[in-house]
Amino acid sequence: MGIQEQYRSEAAALLSSGEVKLVIGFGAGSTADRRRPLFARTPEEAQKFVLDAACIANLSTYLLAEGLLSDGKKVGVFLKPDGIRSVNILISEAQLKPEQVVILGYAIENGKDVAALEGRNISDFSIGEKIRNLTPPPHVIEAAEKIEAMSAEERFEYWKEEFSKCIKCYACRQVCPMCYCRRCIVDVNQPQWVSTSSHTLGNFEWNLVRAFHLAGRCASCGACDRACPVNIPLRLVNYRMGKEVRSAFDYVAGENSDQKPVLASFKQDDPETFIL
Amino acid sequence: MSEPFEPKIVAFVCTYCTYAGADLAGTSRLKYAPNVRIVRLPCTGRISPMFILKALQKGADSVLVSGCHPGDCHFTSGNYHARRRWTVFRALLSFTGIPEERIRFSWISAAEGAKFAELINEITDDTRKLGPFTQYQELQKVIETQSSY
Repeated sequence: MGIQEQYRSEAAALLSSGEVKLVIGFGAGSTADRRRPLFARTPEEAQKFVLDAACIANLSTYLLAEGLLSDGKKVGVFLKPDGIRSVNILISEAQLKPEQVVILGYAIENGKDVAALEGRNISDFSIGEKIRNLTPPPHVIEAAEKIEAMSAEERFEYWKEEFSKCIKCYACRQVCPMCYCRRCIVDVNQPQWVSTSSHTLGNFEWNLVRAFHLAGRCASCGACDRACPVNIPLRLVNYRMGKEVRSAFDYVAGENSDQKPVLASFKQDDPETFIL
Repeated sequence: MSEPFEPKIVAFVCTYCTYAGADLAGTSRLKYAPNVRIVRLPCTGRISPMFILKALQKGADSVLVSGCHPGDCHFTSGNYHARRRWTVFRALLSFTGIPEERIRFSWISAAEGAKFAELINEITDDTRKLGPFTQYQELQKVIETQSSY
């Protein structure tokens, strides 16, 4: 029995026993190599789940849909290690109750094979060690290092070029599991912090604020990169922020669900070499 | 004939330490560069990175952020939180091409009027050498001249 059939029947069993009210997984997409989220509420619907190497989206985004978890019932969700990592972050930020999430874990190996991950509750996955040793794809590191090697002017020109493409569709925000604010700063209009039209200066503002709000919270699932319709390498900024948080505070987001959010905590001896 | 460049410096300071320090500089009759515009806030923990961005966009050539020394915060831990935020924000600005010299951070207590005066003089001199911060200002001009925005 392949992993797809195994997980279909597990999801069906979870639904028919009434353990979960909903299973969030993948269904067939608009083309052969695309998958789209599938929300199964009955065992029959669970038979439509697809699980293969094309299932790359981070479905933990849907866990915070308004009202979904407010009835205290459980929800099942298909997650890769980066998704489990985002669930860890969401729990540490008190957005989720660990007992409400049933995880159907899987990992994509070598870009083609799908392997099942043991465990159902978030506490079953001790991914801390793995996350610490996890490196983003080489092209991300390479691109970030290239930018760091530039002079400040060149960096500014690079990002000016990239951000000038931004159309402020906020797809990066919508797709990100960490962007759960009920009222995002870009939607605030008294005062209007971020300009609504998509001129380059306002785009700088938006993208910097977004990156800052994700500092030390990014699970590096790459969803923002994939969602961006104009292909801004958003992931690079998140990667750089993660690197800074790690080097300055020895903090890796989503290692476990008990850690304190890095910018909501402090140590008295945090580094302050830049402060006069 | 164009006027010589006078740097505009915006200082975000906490009311309990650095603002009182600036006050002391004044009452001690210390002379320091008049290029600084002080914005008084309850605590360094209140200083959102948005403030710094906005200041740079709206014409500041340098920004100073200053508050109580670690351990002295009126609210116990506001400056510790701020310190973490600045560490990250500074890296972010640097990564996106804002020269690090444009944004300064310092701890100045209510007793350090002289340090405040010296620091303002130093920042003014440094900024004068760096020249105006044109990168954001030019983008701002584009917005103002294009009616479609």
